[in-house]
Amino acid sequence: MPVVEGNHCIEASAVSKIYRGGTPAAVEAVSSVSFAVPHGQFVAILGPSGCGKSTLLMMVGGLEPVSSGSIVIDGAPMTGPRTSIGIMFQDPTLLPWKSALDNVLFPIRVLQRPVESYRETARNLLERVGLDGFEHKKPHELSGGMRQRVAICRTLVYDPDLLLMDEPFSALDAISRDEMNELLLDLWQQYRKTALFVTHSIREAVLLADRVLVMTKRPATIVEDLAIPFPRPRAISIGESREFNAICAHLRERIEESHDRPRSRRTGAAREEPAP
Amino acid sequence: MSAESQAAPAVAAPACGRTIGPSLYGLRPVLLPLATAAAMLLAWQFAAVLLRIPSLVLPTPVEIGRELWRALPALLVEALPTTRDTLMAFGAASALGVVLAVAISYSPLLRDMLYPNLVFFQLVPKVALAPLFVIWLGVGSPSRVAFAGFVSFFPIVIAAAVGFAGAEPAALRLCRSLTASEWRCFMLVRFPFALPAIFSGMKVAMTMAVIGVIIGEFISSQAGLGFYILNAGSRLDTADVFAALVVLCALGVALYGAVALAERAVRRVYGRH
Repeated sequence: MPVVEGNHCIEASAVSKIYRGGTPAAVEAVSSVSFAVPHGQFVAILGPSGCGKSTLLMMVGGLEPVSSGSIVIDGAPMTGPRTSIGIMFQDPTLLPWKSALDNVLFPIRVLQRPVESYRETARNLLERVGLDGFEHKKPHELSGGMRQRVAICRTLVYDPDLLLMDEPFSALDAISRDEMNELLLDLWQQYRKTALFVTHSIREAVLLADRVLVMTKRPATIVEDLAIPFPRPRAISIGESREFNAICAHLRERIEESHDRPRSRRTGAAREEPAP
Repeated sequence: MSAESQAAPAVAAPACGRTIGPSLYGLRPVLLPLATAAAMLLAWQFAAVLLRIPSLVLPTPVEIGRELWRALPALLVEALPTTRDTLMAFGAASALGVVLAVAISYSPLLRDMLYPNLVFFQLVPKVALAPLFVIWLGVGSPSRVAFAGFVSFFPIVIAAAVGFAGAEPAALRLCRSLTASEWRCFMLVRFPFALPAIFSGMKVAMTMAVIGVIIGEFISSQAGLGFYILNAGSRLDTADVFAALVVLCALGVALYGAVALAERAVRRVYGRH
């Protein structure tokens, strides 16, 4: 996908994060990362756990200060959380005492907007993700996949321009995860928001994103910026194509290269996860 | 949070409480302990009669019941100051305990300064300090309220501090990501997360408050159930002591129940939004 010049939603330049708390030696979680995301692009940040990709996402979301470098969102330097950004965390983080519908409406309550005028939107979103009839269920009555669906609705209800997703499906079983990926493809087709999606699953990144940034540990930086050529709307079945698997194999190679691990001589289809 | 506002929803709550199933098996958790208690009373009655235990030492349940019926008007009058002092002590302890717990949860400095000391004080046999309160505040109701409040304050502050600290960090982060102020995050996330802990602290505190007031009345009072028990004891009127204990038990159960019902009411309010 060609990157549109100018008009960037996210511009990160030489962003670093250094933790000094408690330890005598400073830990560099993110090391001089630069990238730009144009409006409406779906970008996946792919990397092994603990490589600092979540930290990077939290810095883009304004929840963590940068140690050096700068992040500019919609032309304005990042100083703290803002309402044009919606964040999805690894856990659905639903409030256990609220129903699904009230959890979806939670951002409206926090933002002190009129809750009543959003009730219909929230209901429609729940219906859209296949949770009609579950509006009044409490989180403990819902399955893991259902809870994450509620969390998606909660992120969309106040209509942010930029979605930040921090491994939102990594706690789900493989089947629910496929369903959630399909749902996300479908929703993105409809809403076309700029999205930054952190994942450690190569297949998930390739399936969902227009562009994959590969992040590695030591140094915690971006080693690859790859455009994913598949046209949209995408079906989950593209995961079976030869081209898809070739891209996955290439990304895996890039990740392994940057590690000190001996490279396995695998060819053809990627074998990290079972094909859907 | 005053004692009055705690007790107020409790009056309305039973009307909308859930109904117990019609089957006898559904009543088992209620019937079994009641039947056990009745069996023990019956055993007590027969043992006291058959073993010819003098009623000065151990009156039979029937004698106690008769005495309770006779003395009930006087006992209810004595229960009033005890109830009032207990509620005042509990209210003050709840308000101060929750406020201090909030301060502890927001200031690491205060937490490091106070929390270990609070835990230490929790372990001190505070009952032994009762005479000091009489020295400081005299023999009137204020010294009993202050002592009972002091005794019941620690379980609340410790439970509430644990509750506030236990609020899910991810939910707080979500709240912050929505540009909410610290105060709004507290009201919408931290406080409701801590409610179960606060209420379990309050349940302990309520029983402690009753104990504190009774001890205060033992030491220095001309009224109240504690005074009544001491007085009946000095007359060797054992049945009267037991009658007062029955009223005291009923009072303790009612006050504890009020906290439990208040908890249900508050949780229902939070669940609705």
